[in-house]
Amino acid sequence: MEKHMSVCPYCGTGCKFNLLVEGEKIVGVEPLDGVTNEGRLCLKGHYGFDFVNDTKILTPRLMYPMYRRSRDKDFERITWDEAIKIAATKFSEIKEKYGPDAIMTTGSSRGCGNETNFVMQKFTRAAIGTNNVDNCARVCHAPSVAGLAVTLGNGAMSNSIQEIGDTECLLVFGYNVADSHPVIARRVIEAKEKGAKIIVCDPRKIETARLADLYLPLKNGSNMALVNAFANVLITEGLYDKEFVAKHTEGFDEYKKIVSKYTPEYVADITGLDPDDIREAMRIYAAAPTATILWGMGVTQWTMGVDVVKGLSGLALLTGNLGRPNVGVGPVRGQNNVQGSCDLGVLPNVFPGYQPVTDAKIRAKFAKRWGVKELPDKIGAMVTDVPHLVKEGKLKGYYIMGEDPAQTDPDLTAVRESLEGMEFVIVQDIFMTKTAMFADLVLPATSWGEHEGVFTAADRTFQRFEAAVPPKGECKHDWQIISEISTAMGYPMHYENTKEIWDELRELTPIYYGATYEKMEGLGYVQWPCTDLDDAHGTKYLYEGNKFQRPNGKGLLYACEWHPPMDQTDDDFPMVLCTVREVGHYSCRSMTGNCSALQTLADEPGFVTINPEDAKRLGIKDKELVYVSSRRGKIITRAKITERTNKGAVYMTYQWWIGACNELTGESFDPTSKTPEYKYSAVKLESIDDQVWAENHVQELYATLKGNLSGAVENASELRAPEHA
Amino acid sequence: MNRFVAADPSKCIGCRTCEIACAMAHNGDGTPAPLSDENFKPRIRVIQTATITTAVMCHHCEDAPCLNSCPEGAIVYRNNSVQIDQERCVGCKNCMMSCPFGVMDVITVPAVREFAGVTMTTGVKAQAHKCDLCIDREAGQACVAACPTNALHVVDAESVEKSLADLREKTAISAIAV
Repeated sequence: MEKHMSVCPYCGTGCKFNLLVEGEKIVGVEPLDGVTNEGRLCLKGHYGFDFVNDTKILTPRLMYPMYRRSRDKDFERITWDEAIKIAATKFSEIKEKYGPDAIMTTGSSRGCGNETNFVMQKFTRAAIGTNNVDNCARVCHAPSVAGLAVTLGNGAMSNSIQEIGDTECLLVFGYNVADSHPVIARRVIEAKEKGAKIIVCDPRKIETARLADLYLPLKNGSNMALVNAFANVLITEGLYDKEFVAKHTEGFDEYKKIVSKYTPEYVADITGLDPDDIREAMRIYAAAPTATILWGMGVTQWTMGVDVVKGLSGLALLTGNLGRPNVGVGPVRGQNNVQGSCDLGVLPNVFPGYQPVTDAKIRAKFAKRWGVKELPDKIGAMVTDVPHLVKEGKLKGYYIMGEDPAQTDPDLTAVRESLEGMEFVIVQDIFMTKTAMFADLVLPATSWGEHEGVFTAADRTFQRFEAAVPPKGECKHDWQIISEISTAMGYPMHYENTKEIWDELRELTPIYYGATYEKMEGLGYVQWPCTDLDDAHGTKYLYEGNKFQRPNGKGLLYACEWHPPMDQTDDDFPMVLCTVREVGHYSCRSMTGNCSALQTLADEPGFVTINPEDAKRLGIKDKELVYVSSRRGKIITRAKITERTNKGAVYMTYQWWIGACNELTGESFDPTSKTPEYKYSAVKLESIDDQVWAENHVQELYATLKGNLSGAVENASELRAPEHA
Repeated sequence: MNRFVAADPSKCIGCRTCEIACAMAHNGDGTPAPLSDENFKPRIRVIQTATITTAVMCHHCEDAPCLNSCPEGAIVYRNNSVQIDQERCVGCKNCMMSCPFGVMDVITVPAVREFAGVTMTTGVKAQAHKCDLCIDREAGQACVAACPTNALHVVDAESVEKSLADLREKTAISAIAV
């Protein structure tokens, strides 16, 4: 049996393990003592590898390039030579006819690795000539990146995952650590065992709420009001660190003015919380010698996401909980390399290492290294801009790599319309996804397990992962495919291996310069910033000496007025839908849905959780199929009645393809980060009388969907003769 | 004293890693490929109520009601645990009815017979189904090893003696403090 060192391809914890390989097939994993996981793995880590082997449980692996001559035709298998030629010709035509800004590309926050993301943003900027490159951080932690960049100067977790176990107070806000990051949940439990106080703010009684010393079940949509009230208590009760505020922050007077209105009594109605509990929470937080704030999608997926992130960083600034060990602010990233895709500049406003595209000096540095006269200076489009830009006729070509917007983006009807409205769509993936069904050209890439590279864990930790098995079928590495298209478009790119790409990145990005492949050998790791070749592990925590990465070195205290969510409940749609995640599934589910163990544990059509009182009122019984509808769509799913769900709200995990909650979510966005308000959609639930019919209906829908996906690949298995114009 | 696996509700996060680990450990070669709805029969179950999250499984009782109620003598004490001799099980469900913890199940599996070198399926075979402490697994209890939060541990005579000794010491110290 062979063993190959790898990093888990699921959440952002960055767990290390060996892949066990027999006869070119992955047969198991063996946990390793990585810096973040210390020998532990969750169910996805232990049992989430067999998708690589093409199990075809949900949808087949892509094995060869496919093309369709027109949208009403089926996919046909073509050669790589032809595929590259078609991609280059179509993109060149669009660029010629409409200009470079008519093309949009995506990086991938998943298994491709950092090097591929580097090549994608280089291709977009240098070969196409646009900054229209983005990734799915847009729909998750973009508000954390944008918010923290303004207040502290760096969008990442300030401290390290291992420090969570040693903090003396945890303020967990809108973050279900048990389901999102089970291996980080162990750190929370460790902290509790060592005596840490735990405060949980979440409308739903999540696992961490059971452990909490103080649980604040705030109303859905009241985050900003609560965060302002927290600041109000810290100031009015004199609990804040006056010396720290005076020396290391700015904006206190304006901040104080805004939060002065938000007394615990004032927000009692908005949040539904007892004012004394709000006061108690801040007394605990301020009294702790070290305190850490952790948050997740419950903070970011709102129209006020960026503002609440800024507000939370304000609490850390007020109490001096930054710039030293075991404190800080922790936006814990959900996908294994969503930190990395941001780090590598697959964002419309920055090059790798968060170097702004609007800075002429930075542009000149990249232009020189990449051998182009100039690089675009205009900030590009974001993935959530795509539907309206297509409608306005501004976007014509889309290169989607390793993402599945037709499952994960809000208001799927609008997403499908935008894909249909494009003149040319490339989907480069490992699986036949729902998005790939809308492509003109489908390109098969190697999977995690079949290529090597570097991932960034949630806490800025770079770790290397190896290839364990050879590529399937005709699959090529993502960075090779992009390089070939680029070369065919007249901008030659060629790399021998990922190390060569990584070294180009290091040269161009001072904060990664010290993170060499050699240091990341085996269980080695480097946390950025790491500017120095002599620095073994980089930066464990940011802002040492309370120097914030802003022009004057001070942290910014920022508050703003609370406003209610955009989609409002009424008599027709009286309940609030909040979308959440499944512990045993990941992202769009194309990977975990093809893992036998994980798929056996939880399968379509998923669940909508509902409080027993609401269920009774609506005549809904546990495990029965129900309809859920919003102003945008209607789906069928299974009811799960639980007292852990608060009254008036229902929760659906976003992993299901039949019970797809994003048919219901809407296009209300944070004005800065353009992150959708997944956490609040007005819906109604309806019971279904004929459950036998409903069960059959779900089975039929599921069989049809799976049949269409596998059919698209299988029917194209015969190689088509190249077209000679 | 019989050994058993105990869960600590203050550490359990309800992720069900233990359920898969259990099903895998009792399912052929331990790789996930064979797992399906039909053969996913974990002997450990995660329970979530409004206030509790924990895993439940066989206590390997000292005076086991399941063993006492079995008319076929199919349930035996072996190697400090309660084990089932599947050859003898007829599927009468007495054990299931008598278990005070609800952790004994009776399942049916395809019955297989060897005849003249040929393997044949001959209807179904009943099996009393519960935690066997992975008694035939060299690496020990699969659920304990897989739990991401270390919420599961084996309780045996040695660990019980240690925790009782610790408690007695604490009691003595607190008696002085009063």
